Amino acid sequence: MEQKGSLHPITQLLREAISSFQELGFDVYQGPEIENEWYNFDALNMATDHPARDMQDTFWLKNGKLLRTHTSNGQVRYAETRKPPIRAVFPGQVYRNEATDFKHETSIYQLEGLCIDKGIQVGHLFGTLEHFFKKMYGDDTEIRFQPSYFPFVEPGFEVEAKYKGKWIELLGAGMVHPKVIQNMKIDPKIYSGFAFGMGIDRLVMLKYGIEDIRNLRSGDLRFLKQF
Amino acid sequence: MRILKSWLTDYVKSIGSMSNSSIADLFRRAGIEVESVESGIDDNVVVAEILSVDKHPNADRLSLADVKDNSTTYKIVCGAPNIKKGQKVPLAKIGAILPGEFQIKKSTIRGVESEGMLCAADELGLGEDHSGIIVLPKDYEVGQPLNKYIKKETVFDISITPNRGDWLSHIGVARELAAFTGQQIRREPIVIQKMGNDIQSLLSLEVLNESACPQYFARIIQNVKVGSSPEWLVKRLEACGVRSVNNVVDITNYILLDTGHPLHAFDYAKIEGKKIIVRFANTDEEIVTLDGLNRTLIEKDLVIADSKHPIALAGIMGSKDSEVDGSTVDIVLEAAVFNPKGIRSSAKTHKLQSDASYRFERGIDDSDTEYVLNQAAKMITEVAGGSIASGILRFGQSPAKKSVKIDYDQINSILGSNLSRENIRHYLKSLYLELKDDLAIIPLWRHDLSILEDLAEEVGRMNGYDKITPIYFTKATPPAYSQYYTEELIKDVLVKFGFSETVSYPYLSDNDILLLQLKKENLLELSNPLQEEYKYLRVSLIPGLIKAVAKNPAFDPVLLFEISHVYMKSRETVNLGIVAAGKKAKEAIEKSLSSLQSILGYEFEVTIKEFPREELHRFKVKKPVVYTFECDISALIEKARLDDNKLKLSLSKHKITYRPISKYPMMTRDLAFIVDKKLDSDLITEEIYTVSDMVNRVELFDEFVSDKFGVNKKNVAYHIFLQDTSKTLTDQEADHVVRKIVKLIENKYQAELRKA
Repeated sequence: MEQKGSLHPITQLLREAISSFQELGFDVYQGPEIENEWYNFDALNMATDHPARDMQDTFWLKNGKLLRTHTSNGQVRYAETRKPPIRAVFPGQVYRNEATDFKHETSIYQLEGLCIDKGIQVGHLFGTLEHFFKKMYGDDTEIRFQPSYFPFVEPGFEVEAKYKGKWIELLGAGMVHPKVIQNMKIDPKIYSGFAFGMGIDRLVMLKYGIEDIRNLRSGDLRFLKQF
Repeated sequence: MRILKSWLTDYVKSIGSMSNSSIADLFRRAGIEVESVESGIDDNVVVAEILSVDKHPNADRLSLADVKDNSTTYKIVCGAPNIKKGQKVPLAKIGAILPGEFQIKKSTIRGVESEGMLCAADELGLGEDHSGIIVLPKDYEVGQPLNKYIKKETVFDISITPNRGDWLSHIGVARELAAFTGQQIRREPIVIQKMGNDIQSLLSLEVLNESACPQYFARIIQNVKVGSSPEWLVKRLEACGVRSVNNVVDITNYILLDTGHPLHAFDYAKIEGKKIIVRFANTDEEIVTLDGLNRTLIEKDLVIADSKHPIALAGIMGSKDSEVDGSTVDIVLEAAVFNPKGIRSSAKTHKLQSDASYRFERGIDDSDTEYVLNQAAKMITEVAGGSIASGILRFGQSPAKKSVKIDYDQINSILGSNLSRENIRHYLKSLYLELKDDLAIIPLWRHDLSILEDLAEEVGRMNGYDKITPIYFTKATPPAYSQYYTEELIKDVLVKFGFSETVSYPYLSDNDILLLQLKKENLLELSNPLQEEYKYLRVSLIPGLIKAVAKNPAFDPVLLFEISHVYMKSRETVNLGIVAAGKKAKEAIEKSLSSLQSILGYEFEVTIKEFPREELHRFKVKKPVVYTFECDISALIEKARLDDNKLKLSLSKHKITYRPISKYPMMTRDLAFIVDKKLDSDLITEEIYTVSDMVNRVELFDEFVSDKFGVNKKNVAYHIFLQDTSKTLTDQEADHVVRKIVKLIENKYQAELRKA
């Protein structure tokens, strides 16, 4: 008889997440992994000299380009060729130049989202994320929003959910910074928007109780075939 | 940064009587992340007296002590060698929480119940000593909580975001927390008595570049006695994780922790020419910094120099030869403001980060330079004596404050709130923004406020985000068809034919390049790889997939695929890579590709390659043959004819119990049973997992109904994968587990084991 194969747990979790946004009319866009400084940093209000760049350690290529540190590069590329209303999610692999151990990897999957339109408020961000959390974790899921900071949003938030009794930080989010909207070639005096981002590997590890993040890229069928 | 509750209380009295969890809540509302909280000694740790000590009946190294507080006698099991009748010791009663969130519970140790724990210094977070129980002074009253006598600081370890450098100080955090409790902090004015010589006669100052150093203030203190610091100062610094050096340096560090403004003290006698010059370095000028390292400077480095040479890498670290030590008599105290970009650049160049540079990079309070200078000078004379020379050497001044126009409607619009003008103004004023009509004037320690959206965030924070009502989008269909859905469809097809999806790293090792006979000139190269050996980027998914085949010797067949990016010098593509090795591998890959062709409605080119057998060996693949297929996935997707409306993501519904995988190799055993043909084979699978943790995987590989097994019987056969997470499993251990499995299944399902 035939053995059934298996989908990677990252793929499976991404599908769940993306379908919750798909219901709200979000498009799916995948940008390039090799990027230039403008799309990865400057367009997102992260100037060269700013300590905010330290928040993400970068792999640089000898040709001056870099391996993207977040899928936000896709957000800029997507938005600059379109007119609002814009709603899209951006899944993909991103790279951080950090020492690896059971919790840290140099490559991780992210899912980001962007919404730009007239009259978008913080309430829309909260409502959209609530919808997402409920689909992923159940209708009783409690979530809360803490003030935080990311260079490309203002106000900025950390979004936490109560998971197995403990509050865990699962997402970063915020209202897109007017400078970033401008860089997307959209007029921030007319349009506003929100954005969010989450690390998928971490969510996968939390979901199944996976002990070592490196298992995800091990190619080991003892791991892969469990899903 | 470690923030002390007691230090915060100096600024906001009410914090002293707040519980740690209420304070943690304030941090949360403000948006300051608290990584950990160390509390003072729990109230349930009390002074107790040892009434008697006996040997533990079941353990040589343990004793049984009868210990009493002011009302009860407890039986405690203790492993310390130093306890004696009559001693007063710390007793952690049941319910006490010790550092590391360790809660004391009633426990049984080697058969004897213990109703609490006697404590060593390290168990209470009072030091490193674990050699014995703390013996307390005789005058401590039995029954009293230990924290009455031993004050341990409550510490909140916070991490800040790069936009709030002002939180790198106790005054900055105090200001913020005060605002959230409806209070404001005030700073006492510093009064310096006129004494000592005129500073102008002792030292001159020249600042050559205003934008690199917008402010430079200095004072001189003469005839100090450099020595050890008073206990209160040492304790506060140590609680913040800063080592005591000497009383003068300690005060500068104290001011840094207090105000966030880094100061520096020089030995006046070591300043050549009695001149301080703030200038850029000359190329190849050298300095030996306080850490003893010799550094060669570049023209972009700002230095504090005397008439001959640099005496500090400005804002980062002073030189060893100008440091304040036991021989110092007169000191020069510097309080300055340096350009954040310049500091960041020099810190990077020299790979030198200090508490000072960290703060300058993130922006300090541009308005308090003179204040902190005076505060430091005064404190130094208090701990080290001496007299402050009269006058301040000054360059520059506080910059003009910025202002932002308040647009009340826009703020409400962003937050989706309905706050009145007065309410908004009140919130902004609580955060020390001065309001002039509709202009908000930004305090000089807030480098993060420059546009209206910044003000909206301040109002939002103060008001509380729990007050914002979520607004839900109505359901809608996505605007356009996306490549993503076709990729997922392709994955589903491959899974149906037995393939497992994997994800691999994008790097190529030097060895890979050699094995694959690639030319480095054709590859993209990382300039800062994490590991030297992995600095090229892959141009194909196949090598990574072949390595994955090698990783799975226990599986037959090995069927894997991946959809990921590859990076040629000319362009980046998303590729589909498939490998198949082992039983019916070629069939699996052929059938799945053929099925893809029909589902995508387009006969794309299918070229199945055989990975060269000689190279398989070099990749450590034991299987004799590996079939591979790779293509640019957009070639499949562009020409695909698919019904857009039918595209839906298929989501898995079954619950998965994950089992950690072992670093050690697995063993496989095959078992076949004859069972009733109506029995659900999944039940047996589930049952086998329960036999032992060592069962990592159970795969049904045959299910065959036939009378040759008996009337209404069938054969079910399983591959069983066994592993031990702590070591390599032995044959005996594996056999033992197998025997248990056989026994269980035979009994529970009236099964008959088929002999091989």
